[in-house]
Amino acid sequence: MEYFVQLSAIVWKDLLLEVRSRERIAAMGAFAVLAGVLFNFSIDTTAVRPQDVAAGLIWMTLVFGGLLGVGRTFHIESQDGAMQGILMSPAPKDAVFLAKVIANFVLLYAISLLVLGVFALFFGVDVRNNLGWVSLILGLGSLGFVAVATLFAAISTGTSMAETLLPILVFPLLVPMVVFGAGATGRLMAGRPFSEVEGNVRMLGAFAFAAVAAGAVLFRYVVEE
Amino acid sequence: MTTVGVRRGATGLTLLGLAGLVGLYWLSFFWVSTEATQGVVQRIFYVHVPAAWTAFLAIGISALCSAVYLWLRDDRLDRAAMCAAEGGIVFATIVLTTGPLWGRIAWGTYWTWEPRLTLTLLLWFIFAGYFMVRSATDDPDKGKRYAAVVAIVGALDIPFIHLSVIWFRSLHPQPVVAKPEGPTLPGDMLTTLMFGLGTFTILFFGFFLFRYALEGLRAEADLRARRSAA
Repeated sequence: MEYFVQLSAIVWKDLLLEVRSRERIAAMGAFAVLAGVLFNFSIDTTAVRPQDVAAGLIWMTLVFGGLLGVGRTFHIESQDGAMQGILMSPAPKDAVFLAKVIANFVLLYAISLLVLGVFALFFGVDVRNNLGWVSLILGLGSLGFVAVATLFAAISTGTSMAETLLPILVFPLLVPMVVFGAGATGRLMAGRPFSEVEGNVRMLGAFAFAAVAAGAVLFRYVVEE
Repeated sequence: MTTVGVRRGATGLTLLGLAGLVGLYWLSFFWVSTEATQGVVQRIFYVHVPAAWTAFLAIGISALCSAVYLWLRDDRLDRAAMCAAEGGIVFATIVLTTGPLWGRIAWGTYWTWEPRLTLTLLLWFIFAGYFMVRSATDDPDKGKRYAAVVAIVGALDIPFIHLSVIWFRSLHPQPVVAKPEGPTLPGDMLTTLMFGLGTFTILFFGFFLFRYALEGLRAEADLRARRSAA
């Protein structure tokens, strides 16, 4: 019980900070919209149908935009010794990690729905029939992504290369998420039934679960002093 | 084991491995029969497959030593993990150069997103990240912990990457040795392949022990320098 109180206190602190400063959500949101605009001009629409490439582009926007925000997870804590403060609090290290993952997930999931809207608008993608399933897939993908990226954000914050190191560490690990997520999203957008992508969704779920569990166990070794 | 003992073992294994390498080249160029459909180009297989096996073995050792290092905090385990990771990168580079050379003739293209090739490429990048993390920290202990976490997460991700890239598509030749009904490779080819596997494994452990002894000497020298400064 106490565990959840401590966990939700950190989630609340992070979300409140974000609501007040709107630093990360504004950056990620603007990035998502602008990426949609740029992608539109990067495609020769006489050669490929925008609907056919939209799913892949949605996931790439999610990955790049997500790194932009999640990479700064520990930025505020790295100043004025705030990280020491959190680590010295009675909250267990895995609660700190899970709280950070939840707060990041809320942010990224909101952004992923925005990305979906942006691509529906700019690329003429029709997801109304499968909106529920596509939202679930984006949710599972976002969860797996934030779990991996939060752990590695803690690592990269502690190095001299800071955020520049994050994509190098995280991109190779995210291949399964992109394969299963973009594959499922693309098929659902093409009007295929859910039964065809059920395997992808299960794998996305397994990936998210494994990433959260591994992060919760390993986080203490990253932040120990 | 003392550093001198490790170095002796390293020299012995490396010499044995190098002799084996000469033998392997002789076997694969002059002794083994030419494969009927692929022709001469198939001979690269006797280097490619042993290198792949050694790369995965090295990375497995590295991840295992990393996990135990986080538990016991013995610097020797960290050194072993790092030396194995270096070996892994070297042998993965051999896989990534011999694979496309063969693919150019057999598949008509240098690169294709074939599952096993893709997995090796991603592993190469994960372990490149392992060394970048190590070198980008001021505090060596922090670098060791970070690198260990990278190695463990990388190893845990392998099954997922493997499944996902298979899901994506496959045109790699199917396994010819490790199959439930026994190997289907003709006798002389199997002998050459097994000889290659043995040679590469011995060579890896030779290199590994050399690097391990060197890192041990470096740690001793650091300690001495710190003592004389104090």
